[in-house]
Amino acid sequence: MKSEQGYYGQYGGSYIPEILYTSQQQIVKAFEEAKNDPLFMQELHKQWEQFSGRPTPLTHCENLSAHFGGAQIYLKREDLNHSGAHKMNNVIGQGLLVKRMGKTRVIAETGAGQHGIATALVAARLGLECTIYMGAKDIARQYPNVFWMKQLGATVVSVTTGSQTLKDALDEALRDWSGSHENSHYLIGTACGCAPFPEMVAYFQSVIGDEVKTQSQAQFNTLPDKLYACVGGGSNAIGLFNAFLEDNTVEMIGVEAAGKGQEIGEHSIRLSHNLGSKAIAQGFSSIFLQNESGQLQDTHSIAAGLDYVGVSPIIAHLAEVNRVRMTYASDKEVLEACSLLLRNEGIIPALESSHALAAAFREAPKLSSQQHIVVNLSGRGDKDIFNVAKAFQDEEFVPFIQEYANTFSNNDDQADDLNNEGGVI
Amino acid sequence: MSQLQQFITTRKQQLSLENQTPLSMTHVIYGYPSVEESLTWMKTLLDLGVDLLEVQFPFSDPVADGPTIVNACHKALTEDLKIKDCLLHLKTLAQAYPNSKIVFMSYLNPIFKFGMTTFIEQASLSGISGIIIPDLAIENAQEYQQACDVFKIDPIWLVTPITPKERLKSIAQRSSGLLYCVSRSGVTGGNRTRDIQSYSYINDVKCYTQTPLAIGFGIRSRKQVEEIMHHADIAIIGSALLDRYDNQGATAAALFVKELFPHLHHS
Repeated sequence: MKSEQGYYGQYGGSYIPEILYTSQQQIVKAFEEAKNDPLFMQELHKQWEQFSGRPTPLTHCENLSAHFGGAQIYLKREDLNHSGAHKMNNVIGQGLLVKRMGKTRVIAETGAGQHGIATALVAARLGLECTIYMGAKDIARQYPNVFWMKQLGATVVSVTTGSQTLKDALDEALRDWSGSHENSHYLIGTACGCAPFPEMVAYFQSVIGDEVKTQSQAQFNTLPDKLYACVGGGSNAIGLFNAFLEDNTVEMIGVEAAGKGQEIGEHSIRLSHNLGSKAIAQGFSSIFLQNESGQLQDTHSIAAGLDYVGVSPIIAHLAEVNRVRMTYASDKEVLEACSLLLRNEGIIPALESSHALAAAFREAPKLSSQQHIVVNLSGRGDKDIFNVAKAFQDEEFVPFIQEYANTFSNNDDQADDLNNEGGVI
Repeated sequence: MSQLQQFITTRKQQLSLENQTPLSMTHVIYGYPSVEESLTWMKTLLDLGVDLLEVQFPFSDPVADGPTIVNACHKALTEDLKIKDCLLHLKTLAQAYPNSKIVFMSYLNPIFKFGMTTFIEQASLSGISGIIIPDLAIENAQEYQQACDVFKIDPIWLVTPITPKERLKSIAQRSSGLLYCVSRSGVTGGNRTRDIQSYSYINDVKCYTQTPLAIGFGIRSRKQVEEIMHHADIAIIGSALLDRYDNQGATAAALFVKELFPHLHHS
């Protein structure tokens, strides 16, 4: 979706320290030129295809459709991207832009770690230095992702200020960029931040909806009736919705994280129920959760990727003009939805994406079997193994971890064995 | 000429006869470590005779600040601080210390939430001379600029060593009161006492405006302050002062201010 001078209605814009002005302008220019350069676009599509595995399938969930007895449920399988989430679409795009601008280092913020992983993967491939900022709280709940980022050669910085989640990681990334703009690009992971980031991230993510449009024609000869996507920052949602904005028969539903309650610090609902209000922070104007003094508030979600205090200015605008309907799902509903998909369709969804599933499952039974709904399965759930095991109270998980931890330090034996066989670690 | 500019010019003239030093601008965070203690610290500095007192109203997400100030802001915000109370406190100080000027600094959102024009009006009534909003760029500042004109308060713009020339010119020409010249890239603070990257851009600034110039970011030694004397009117001390205050207490921090600005002995 194209902005008006960086604005979407009353949201968006560029509110950054003066030191970043030059770099921001450089990105505006580089992005405009790249979009209109056939060679850049060709390379982008090539990398999407050959590195990330696009196009991703549109999967008909016949079992669940029958189970609910309502609409035909389809999943857009962004979980099948390389790195296991839609984040890769944007990172490939911005990564190529970084090379084009001649910068040698990328900085990124990450919540669940999916954007961090995707950035580390692309940085390794493009030979870029990479620093990832991640809230200390998120590191604690997503350590496996941190591990891989480090193995990929990225420096992971634990952010211990403020709420120690995505918002603080974003602040730290901006601070790094203020000092490193000469050689570094801030590779933001969601459709937030100062202009042109929301527009640029939406542009690279809109491949999701473009494919769904073609695939729905091919598979059921019409456009979907409804689209569902979870909304943290909003990049997977705008990625799915963008191609359908002019198709008024297609309803779009954004699903926020209702967490465990409606008190501040228990949820990440910004748009539904008008719990959030207009604020200007982290480089842009949008709807944020804030107190009456204008201080940003703590958030919670079982899904680290949705645990964010603000939202894309594009989504804030689309919700305001009623083009996107906002709803939410609680931690509990999300786990139920996750479990349903596991058992009925043999797919392991990320907890973030399970929010979209929860809303779709709630509404599907009320629709006719002639209707088609598409849920953006924005990421796979492997990364959530610890959280899900805990939530499902798996009895064998704790003894397994304890046992594993006990043998962890004896790893030398195995390493020696491998070395003796000439294996490379 | 604005009151702030008049003040700076006059003070400079008084000083230049006997002292080789820029004017002092010392930074304090309102509410850190508590409202009471921060007010006591402001009074200590004003008793020393600091020329300008910069008071930062904390915001949860201060992206232009480095660790020292970020941590202090978060600590301060464990209490629900109100801009209204801050302005009342500053009004009392402004009245009690007419020989210094107070400059208010905060990020855009607390001010936006309070109401931009109302805020400028209230700040003006409280005797505040200038406002610094590091995340409000000049092209987004129509309401701000207008309110500042109406209520006779100076919007203090920032320029940096990498601000493009045309933009530098445009900001410098619109400046009033004082112009905040950032010494280098990066956020506030840091332990490296490195030389100020580039004075050449400050010479450019001087071609475009008569507004007094202040240099800030990473200033923490007498040597730097002496250097600044040759290029600008004011040296701004923020994180370095807060570091002293945190590590050695208010008395040592006050001594540090005198060490950096010997002219304050005479006040």
